[in-house]
Amino acid sequence: ASVPYSHTERETFLAEHCRPGVVLKSASCDIFQNLAFEDWIHAHVDVEKRSILFMCRNRPAVVIGRHQNPWQECNVPLARERGIPVARRRSGGGTVFHDLGNVNLTFFSSRKRYDRQRNLRIVTRALRQLSPNLDVHATERFDILLNKQFKISGTAAKLGRTGAYHHCTLLCSADRALLSATLRSACAAGIRSNATPSVAAPVRNLRDEDPTLNCDAVMEAVASQYYADFGLSAPAVVVDPTDELSHPGIRRITQELQAWDWVFGKTPAFSLDTSFEVQCEACDTKVNLTVGVKSGAIETCSIESPQDWLPPAMCRELSGLMVGSRFRPSDMAVIFTAFLRANPQSHELENKMHILCEKVVALM
Amino acid sequence: MATRVAFRCMLASFPSALTPRRLPLRVCAHSRALGTSSRAAAALKFTDKHEWVRVEDGVGTVGISNFAQEALGDVVYCSLPEVGTKLNQMDEFGALESVKAASELYSPLTGEVTEVNQDLAENPGLVNKSCYKDGWLIKMTIEKSSELDALMDEAAYERYVKSIED
Repeated sequence: ASVPYSHTERETFLAEHCRPGVVLKSASCDIFQNLAFEDWIHAHVDVEKRSILFMCRNRPAVVIGRHQNPWQECNVPLARERGIPVARRRSGGGTVFHDLGNVNLTFFSSRKRYDRQRNLRIVTRALRQLSPNLDVHATERFDILLNKQFKISGTAAKLGRTGAYHHCTLLCSADRALLSATLRSACAAGIRSNATPSVAAPVRNLRDEDPTLNCDAVMEAVASQYYADFGLSAPAVVVDPTDELSHPGIRRITQELQAWDWVFGKTPAFSLDTSFEVQCEACDTKVNLTVGVKSGAIETCSIESPQDWLPPAMCRELSGLMVGSRFRPSDMAVIFTAFLRANPQSHELENKMHILCEKVVALM
Repeated sequence: MATRVAFRCMLASFPSALTPRRLPLRVCAHSRALGTSSRAAAALKFTDKHEWVRVEDGVGTVGISNFAQEALGDVVYCSLPEVGTKLNQMDEFGALESVKAASELYSPLTGEVTEVNQDLAENPGLVNKSCYKDGWLIKMTIEKSSELDALMDEAAYERYVKSIED
């Protein structure tokens, strides 16, 4: 799947920016634009004899790995409520939280020279340059640990035909409360799937260890170390991932990454078995919901409610309507509205339907 | 990684008939035919991206080579296309995830996907354990037999693997 681009434009970009190697800094703080830039470089730039380090920071975002389940990895409804986008990378690995207190580093190379430990050594050396007493080490799982126990960096990678990229996060001064809240799934316990699960780890900000460390200083130190390690000398170049003229096709890549069908629709098949409490005659009762979801669409669905809360026939009809629709709030709202329009109910039942709709949407 | 290698070496000391596909590559490369010639199946053809294809009754079965699975490490997820997907030669048709890396898969031939290996959903490690047999990825129709003829046979692929290792 290659994006059409003008050969001359690509060559101009390369000639200007990356002869033997270069450090690129993003002018954008948008997760989708920066992921798109990585994919654009991966698809269009010949990294056979060239090394590129791309650095960026993003506004708050949850970034899941290519083969993960967002509902299992993070609190999707909370993220939506707070306006925090959920993005799916094209690389493997687990879920991370980004905000402006987190530095993202992407190392591009040929597949042959792809070496994640070398890249992480550049990062740990840079950190020790800034703060000589810092105890930072890369692990066999390509995490960077602070004081041998706190994760400050996570890794993911993508290997293509000839080129590869390795990207990693680096927590400098991220909002740890927001990080914990968004990465705590509300329904993970009820999800069964073969998606790759993340391994949760205690995290820490570099700033908590050394108050002089901030994102700008860290990025600068990593860039210098990268230049030293690769024997390069050129100033870092600021790139604009929204610049379609310099990066033909990048807008389409950005749109693809933002699309619901990619972020949520690409989730490996899963089932969700959950229940929620509802009020019935002034006492609490439970409604059970079981759905099977494939390619983002509900394939099987069953709603079980105590008979005196919602009649079984209604539960069956609703379940039937949900099958075939996407596992998405707007789709649910449409279904419940259409159902009520086609089957006018008593005020009480209508109320219960609204409650049920709300509860279902709150899972998505 | 060290334990994995040690484990493989240990297995390699068993009679090869028991564990023909667990042999470390270096051993395989010196024995003929990557441990596949003992089966009477049709010959394997290889791409330079380390996919293999075996054609039987007009249908090609596709997988990745022992060299590739060794290089990847433990496969934890196989992302495969839907049946009916039309592929051109060298099209991306999925990805294998291992050790936090997603490695793209490229179609060795032009054709349509007729079957995907369902066992890999529950057991992606089959790609490591049995890359030439139970760990196959997809089956596809063959639209251009000339493409098949142009792929490497086992001997040529062995030489190719040796050349990139050196």
